[in-house]
Amino acid sequence: MSLSRRTARIVLALLVAGAALMVGVMIASGARDFGTSLSRPPCTPAPAFPGDGLDATLQRVVLDGLEGAACELGATREELVLSLAPSDIRPRDIRWDDATIQRAVRSGLVQSIDQAEDRGSLPGPLASVLRAVAERAPVEFLINRGGDLAGIVDAVRSADPGDLLRLLGRIDPGDLLDLIRP
Amino acid sequence: MPPAAARRAAVIALALAVAVAFADSSIVVLALPELYTEFETSIPGVAWVVTAYNLVVAVAAFALRPALRRMRPAPLLLAGLVVFLGASVACGLAGDLAVLIIARCVQGLGAALVLAASLPIMVALAATAETGAMRWAAAGAVGAAVGPALGGVLTELASWRAIFIFQAPVAAVALIALAVPAARALGPERPAPRAHTGAANWGLVFAFGALVGALFLAVLMVVTVWDLGPLAGAVVVSALPIAALLVRPLSVALSPVEGVGGGALLLAGGLAGLAFLPTVSPALAAVCLGVCGLGFGLVVPPLTRASVPGVEGLGQRATVSVGARHAGLVLALVLIAPVVATGLERGGEVATINATAVVLDAEIGVDVKVPVALALRDEFERTPRGEVPDLARPFDENGAGDDEAVRSARDDLVDAIQAALTRGFRYAYLLAALFALLVPLPLLIARLARRPA
Repeated sequence: MSLSRRTARIVLALLVAGAALMVGVMIASGARDFGTSLSRPPCTPAPAFPGDGLDATLQRVVLDGLEGAACELGATREELVLSLAPSDIRPRDIRWDDATIQRAVRSGLVQSIDQAEDRGSLPGPLASVLRAVAERAPVEFLINRGGDLAGIVDAVRSADPGDLLRLLGRIDPGDLLDLIRP
Repeated sequence: MPPAAARRAAVIALALAVAVAFADSSIVVLALPELYTEFETSIPGVAWVVTAYNLVVAVAAFALRPALRRMRPAPLLLAGLVVFLGASVACGLAGDLAVLIIARCVQGLGAALVLAASLPIMVALAATAETGAMRWAAAGAVGAAVGPALGGVLTELASWRAIFIFQAPVAAVALIALAVPAARALGPERPAPRAHTGAANWGLVFAFGALVGALFLAVLMVVTVWDLGPLAGAVVVSALPIAALLVRPLSVALSPVEGVGGGALLLAGGLAGLAFLPTVSPALAAVCLGVCGLGFGLVVPPLTRASVPGVEGLGQRATVSVGARHAGLVLALVLIAPVVATGLERGGEVATINATAVVLDAEIGVDVKVPVALALRDEFERTPRGEVPDLARPFDENGAGDDEAVRSARDDLVDAIQAALTRGFRYAYLLAALFALLVPLPLLIARLARRPA
């Protein structure tokens, strides 16, 4: 196939224009934000975790607690969570020691539990137990035994809510902490 | 065999050897993750498997220029093919990284000899000097562009060792070119007459530098980050050589200035497209690589003709042309490698943060979320170095097969990580696009310098 010089020039011009258009469309289609951080800036109000029931309530409490703790440290929620992770996936610019992180996490969780109780989304006895856990249980324990906690939530789901609340009301948070402390 | 058939067979065999010598610049790229793991080395360490070859070809090609005025091309080609063959086998059998890098250096020396001596022989075997030079240039361009795809196929079908073992018979078969009397009869070259080839060679430096962006970075992205595997990666990357071949009728019809100028814009456009991908899409990457291929196919033929003009001193000019191409590859590797390393390090940090955000916000029950989060942490810890953690597995083991919400969380996590790492390539691609934009600059400067005041 042989092309005339004029046709070749037109084809070349179209190809170059097409390439420029392609790049323009890509930038307009979201290339600018593609792959950027999904983290919200510290202390930015986050949308509430959706859903009803105990599971969603617990997740809202934990996520709000983490938001509050991160805000206190001037960090994002994700930076705070990763600061608790093993060193190889921990962000390089962690600027707090473990004691500061634990203090912030406890304070954020307790505040979040208080707010959930005030809103009436967390029953009082359950709020007391969770508050005791948040105030006293080692943060590493909560992470490493998270699977067990998930199992407890499973049990909570299958139990009769009325019986459960009565049972929770009789539990002494201090005794509970003595049981789960490693 | 009748003389005409023997001549045809010799041309094909020699063209294949030239293509393989050029392909060797990039053929091993798709196997780098495998080499990284097998030899338990670092990223700069494994990069030397590519850099060492290109560096030795560049240096040896320039050094061989005076030798072509004293020696006949046939013995040089014989020496080159034997050295290349032996070194290819040594690469394929290498037991550690140091041996592999040394064998790659020797292979580069053999390739430089083959590439320098093959052009005069190719011309001697052709009806006209122009036909011979065109065949040599076409074999080189196809080889350079097809290298990663070929390496990917061989790695997937066998192992990285097959890449090198496969080259030995190609070098051995090329020895039949020396059986043709016209090839053996060539004497040492007379000194090449003075010609303005500097600008074209500088253009080749930048064009092959840009090729590093299109091939090396795209291969790393689709195989390592997008987890496509060497064979699927080879299919995506094949868009480049296919487009480079398809654009040939256009290249023939355009003037050299139009070809180089338009080709440079297309090459830069394709690289900019790769830099600004809005999503993880192998199809879109293939389109961008196709645009790069169109540009490469337009830029290289006129630059090659300008760098190896006339019939006098072909071998001497070929050595400089070969040296310029490989110097461009080395220059780009040296400049682009730290940029992509920094980009990927930052991309890795963003990927970790985004993965955390996805897990925290996933609309799945806490009874699934907590085990998944812990399993993800364990997956990071137990993944051997050089391998990408299988982050989908914790979701699959916790009901992604049946539960739409878990499946959706898994897909969001993988997408978030791939997106952040893909963005990590952006500045490296843009640097390669800058190389592409610089291709016509030396020609422009030379034109202005030659214009009477």
